[in-house]
Amino acid sequence: MENKKNRIVYIVLIILFAYFLENCTTAKDTIAKKTGTQLWSENCIRCHNIPTPVDFSDPQWQTIVLHMQVRANLTAIEAEKIVDFMKNSN
Amino acid sequence: MRQKIILILFFIGISTTYAQTSIQEQLDSIKGEISTLKKVENSHFMLRGFAQFGLDASSDNVSFNMTSFNPILLWRLGNKFLFESEIEMEYMDNQYNLSLGYANASYLVANGITIKVGKILVPFGVFGEKLHPSWVNKLSDAPLGLGHDNGMLPMADIGVEIRGGVQLGLSKLSYSVYTVNGPRLKDGTASQTEAGMLSYENFNDNNKNKAIGSRLGFLPFSNSCLEIGFSAYYAKPGAATSPFANDTVNMDINYKDVKAVLSAIDFSFVKTFTPISGLIDIKSQYNNSAISDATYVNPDTTGMIKTGRYTFKNNSNAFYLQVAYRPTLVNNKILKNVEFVGRYSNYNMPLGSLWYSQQSQLSYGINYWFSWRTVLKLGYQTTSGVPAAMSMNSNTNMNMATNTVNIFQIYLATGL
Ligand code: HEC
Repeated sequence: MENKKNRIVYIVLIILFAYFLENCTTAKDTIAKKTGTQLWSENCIRCHNIPTPVDFSDPQWQTIVLHMQVRANLTAIEAEKIVDFMKNSN
Repeated sequence: MRQKIILILFFIGISTTYAQTSIQEQLDSIKGEISTLKKVENSHFMLRGFAQFGLDASSDNVSFNMTSFNPILLWRLGNKFLFESEIEMEYMDNQYNLSLGYANASYLVANGITIKVGKILVPFGVFGEKLHPSWVNKLSDAPLGLGHDNGMLPMADIGVEIRGGVQLGLSKLSYSVYTVNGPRLKDGTASQTEAGMLSYENFNDNNKNKAIGSRLGFLPFSNSCLEIGFSAYYAKPGAATSPFANDTVNMDINYKDVKAVLSAIDFSFVKTFTPISGLIDIKSQYNNSAISDATYVNPDTTGMIKTGRYTFKNNSNAFYLQVAYRPTLVNNKILKNVEFVGRYSNYNMPLGSLWYSQQSQLSYGINYWFSWRTVLKLGYQTTSGVPAAMSMNSNTNMNMATNTVNIFQIYLATGL
């Protein structure tokens, strides 16, 4: 009886762990697949209206996104993808 | 003959190696020049900022206001170093104020770790650091309790901060920890009606201990539409020595052990909804300040009830909730630039202090956005409660007359 219970608990734990792993890997995928356009549209609207790539030149974008990376605590990958998107679309 | 050939070959060999080295040298120097040129390009300077001008009209007063003209300097060196500084020029209540909003340097040490030193905007809650510029703020003034005028919360201070963003699966964590000079406790010797208040912007400290604080923001969804933040701040604001050292009656009073504990919760939700063809933007922040009990002295005997020694529970709080809607998805060119905004805010200053005040405010606004950072703001605002100036004249904090002020506001704000 005890044994059976233990086994069930183990199985549940294993399933949960697998689910957790699966979730993490899909999370990694979802985040890694995000494009600069998507990150720009999701992040740059959180505090103020969203500027478009044509509003500034390449060196200006480099400075502005660094400014925003610090102000909004963006991750390095987010900032990098956003700068690339801005520079390639202006 | 053979010797001649060997000699010639020898000379050819030497001269080619010589030529090669000189070409190599030239190449090296050109490379060097290019890389220094690149370095020069790698640093970049920008002048930006914001300004707001407008008019407040109530039933008995109409006045123009230039509420802000704040140039901002940004200087980037490479991809990891940024210097930012803001000069604040404000013209309010017949006074012209020029001050240094902030001036600091940030360095990206590693992925998710940025160190910032200098005069920083204190990341306590979000309004002060992220939403106060006049082209970002959707209304023409700050919520009650979050403006520069009342010293309930830290706005800018000198110190060191470590901050960054970290990806945690689908969610994100935004963190900041800092230590700054911290506030001073007003002991009432300069202005007795302000005894027990904190004064935040100090260029040098009145004691050895620094204030420490932190904000943790959680962005649970992968699209970053929601952020909930928790802030805490701790300081010992009293001077090391008694301000009454030369006063034989009160020399036993000392504020060196007074502690100030501040906390805040902030909330931000920004998302486009197709069924309502537009963008919903909700922002909210609740702040609490608790300063430990102390004895204050009011030498004034001209009628205020609190003459001599007194004490009070030194707790203050402030709250605001703002909801905005802009029909960004409609096809009409005019309508898509119109934004509707409503805000409720209130604050409560300690009952029993000579600066007791308690107010609540409802603001409504209609904005027209000419560009992403130029806006015409039309607003109507009702503020009611006990304003600070009234309690000072009153004999007791009981039965204080409350009043209501309605104002109409038109402002033009722009990012420069
Ligand atoms: C956490 C809030 C926040 C987010 C998210 C944010 N900004 Fe900003 N942004 C600000 C604030 C606050 C200012 C004003 C800075 C100041 O005046 O000190 C600003 C200023 C700017 C400016 C004016 C120039 C400058 O650097 O001051 C530009 C351009 C800008 N932001 C672009 C962006 C872009 C692009 C993104 C997306 C990567 C973004 N912002 C995300 C808060 C934010």
